[in-house]
Amino acid sequence: MDLSFTKEQEAFRQEVRDFVTAELEAGTFAISSTGLVAEASREFSLKMAEKGWIGLSWPTECYGQGRSYVDKMIMNEELFKVQAPLGFHFLGDRQVAPALIEFGSDWHKEYFLPRIANATEDSTFCLLFSEPNAGSDLVAVSTTAVEEGDAYILNGQKTWTSGGHLADWGWILVQTNFDESVPNHKSCSEFIVDLKSPGVTIRPIINSAGEVDFNEVFFDNVKIERKNLVGKVNDGFKQIMAQMDFERAGMERLMQNYPIYSLLVDHMKAMVASGENGEFCGWVKDQVAQLEIEYNIGRLLCYRTAWMIDSGKRPTSQAAIAKMFCTQLEQRVNDLATKVLGPVSQIREGVEWTPFPVDLAACYLWGASYTLQGGSVEILKNIVAQRGLGLPRR
Amino acid sequence: MLRKSFAEFLSKECPAETVTENHNSKRGYSSAIWKKMARLGWLGLVHEDKYGGMDGSFLDLFILFEEIGKVLLPSPLFISPTLCGWLLKETGTTELINEYLPALIEGKKILSLALQDEQGKYDADSPHMTAVKTSAATYCINGTRLLVPYAEQADEIIFCVTLAGEGENGPTLFRIDSHADGLKQTFLPTLTGEKTYALIFDDVEIPAANILGQIGQGNVYLKSVTAKATVLKCGEMLGGLERVVEMTVGYVKDRQQFGRPLGSLQAVQHQCVDMSVLLEATRVIAYQAACLISEGEPCHKELAMAKAWCNDAYRITTWIGQQLHGGIGFTEEYNLHLYYKHAKASELSFESSWYHKRTVANEIS
Repeated sequence: MDLSFTKEQEAFRQEVRDFVTAELEAGTFAISSTGLVAEASREFSLKMAEKGWIGLSWPTECYGQGRSYVDKMIMNEELFKVQAPLGFHFLGDRQVAPALIEFGSDWHKEYFLPRIANATEDSTFCLLFSEPNAGSDLVAVSTTAVEEGDAYILNGQKTWTSGGHLADWGWILVQTNFDESVPNHKSCSEFIVDLKSPGVTIRPIINSAGEVDFNEVFFDNVKIERKNLVGKVNDGFKQIMAQMDFERAGMERLMQNYPIYSLLVDHMKAMVASGENGEFCGWVKDQVAQLEIEYNIGRLLCYRTAWMIDSGKRPTSQAAIAKMFCTQLEQRVNDLATKVLGPVSQIREGVEWTPFPVDLAACYLWGASYTLQGGSVEILKNIVAQRGLGLPRR
Repeated sequence: MLRKSFAEFLSKECPAETVTENHNSKRGYSSAIWKKMARLGWLGLVHEDKYGGMDGSFLDLFILFEEIGKVLLPSPLFISPTLCGWLLKETGTTELINEYLPALIEGKKILSLALQDEQGKYDADSPHMTAVKTSAATYCINGTRLLVPYAEQADEIIFCVTLAGEGENGPTLFRIDSHADGLKQTFLPTLTGEKTYALIFDDVEIPAANILGQIGQGNVYLKSVTAKATVLKCGEMLGGLERVVEMTVGYVKDRQQFGRPLGSLQAVQHQCVDMSVLLEATRVIAYQAACLISEGEPCHKELAMAKAWCNDAYRITTWIGQQLHGGIGFTEEYNLHLYYKHAKASELSFESSWYHKRTVANEIS
């Protein structure tokens, strides 16, 4: 296992770092630490598109740059460090495009890939997977797509749709086989749905941090063309499992609270320098050092999955391990920061006594969601147990 | 019996939507519920009969706070008739006690208590706020207090300053009209959304008659009150924890996934049991401290053990509760988030686990 970077990769990291530093100095965006790449800025995405940084690891024949996953992770690490506003193109780049490249038709590739890569106006995606009664049990989706001539008619409800209120397109998992003797995982298909279609209603959900990130999306006789079916009919669940590995193999879960972590380290240095209570400083150092170790492990676990993808291996179990390790670490980062900063850490942004320039109290609230989204820790443990360790299902 | 009447009243008067409504209202609490609680005598539960109190024990009060923790009713009960009531009783002149204590117990007067400095630290032993004598009978005060509950709603605020003057010094308690000249209040948006404020004293002139108790003894008075306050906070945390377990176990029994109740999965059952162990442990360690205080026994170590334990147990329980609820627990329309926030805010009040564990270690060394 070679976890070192080439000279070219180090130079690329520096290039990305210089870019974000310049953008921060120009005031294009400010460092925040809440929603998963919740900040969407087409202006920022266009700048990335110009550099070829959207679709960095897609094949060159698919409008990409043909770079490695490790390169992409280097880029993402630097962007995530400052929580750059990637929301406009992020899901299209990370999730939709790789799936289209693997399962999509020529039309899908011709139509969507250049749009995503160029951050055109109508290229934002959201993922329509979970339903009120299909959370961890994703195959239980009951939103239906029924064939009608050369089209499908969608009916049902999706929920926890991050960024649904901002997206142009939805990537949706629906039931397409209604024969009860066929198991659920062989009854689902994937479609791309235009969210401006008649019959689509999007209702934002206010989360416990008081913010809107996810939505409920309702489909009432929504007509979609047959060409919007992705891959094979009734093969959707198998396809989605492959895509989830890409979602989990990312570094976003480790990095979302990096701004908090980095402020915490600065705070520790300042505490020690100002001669604060020695016993307390000793405790803080021990706790922060533990996080530093875990942060480094998390980072290496992520790079390891990228390295596996680059070597043509499918990192199902490793990606699941990386994700569960990183999400739990993120929760501890926020928790420890509140303990070190003490009572003022409950003060939210907007007043002079807020302890950090990033809303730590809000980050603590968001923390509850990290171990749920993109596969809860329990589901990830099942994957590792059954697919990684080969333990029997019953 | 007492517990049953507390529980019945609170569950009827304070459904979850009331909590958020109160936080979003100007006053921050319901004056209708406040008046009813006053009529029931709860504001004077531990105070003497001659002031309009019920002569109850500390343990009775602890049970009341446990029940309040289950519904998270916002009110000045903790800060005003309880903490400030005790402080007044200990430091006030007979006239002052006779005038103020019955009014606090009737809920007609509200007092608040400012304990935390500009960094949020509890600084009673050497307050980062000074009072300089400007004449025979006046002082001038400068400094900042943070996280003062209901400061704007209160009639007066009690606080502790360092007296800096010839012949008299040390931590000293004062009371001040909450809208005095030079005193600025700023609402602080916090995790829970409870009404809490920053108080900025900018050359505030205050008469010497507003000193409470002996000069230089402010920290001593506060010590006994904060000890009791810490244990009551543990009661509130125990109640909250109890409700999180109840809500979560109820949820996983109902919630169907994989064609069966979520709670039939062993991975889920074990997490429920982890919560249940935390609950039972919290109950015994918190009640031990409450019983000792109720009996007037020293409990320095037991109190520290209780708060150190409650801080972690309650927070961890809310994490498990959130995890087992899934996405729904992370929405504003479902009330689990109230407890998640309350657990962290409670952990951050009346000192951290680190602080209390150090006390425990010192007590056994």
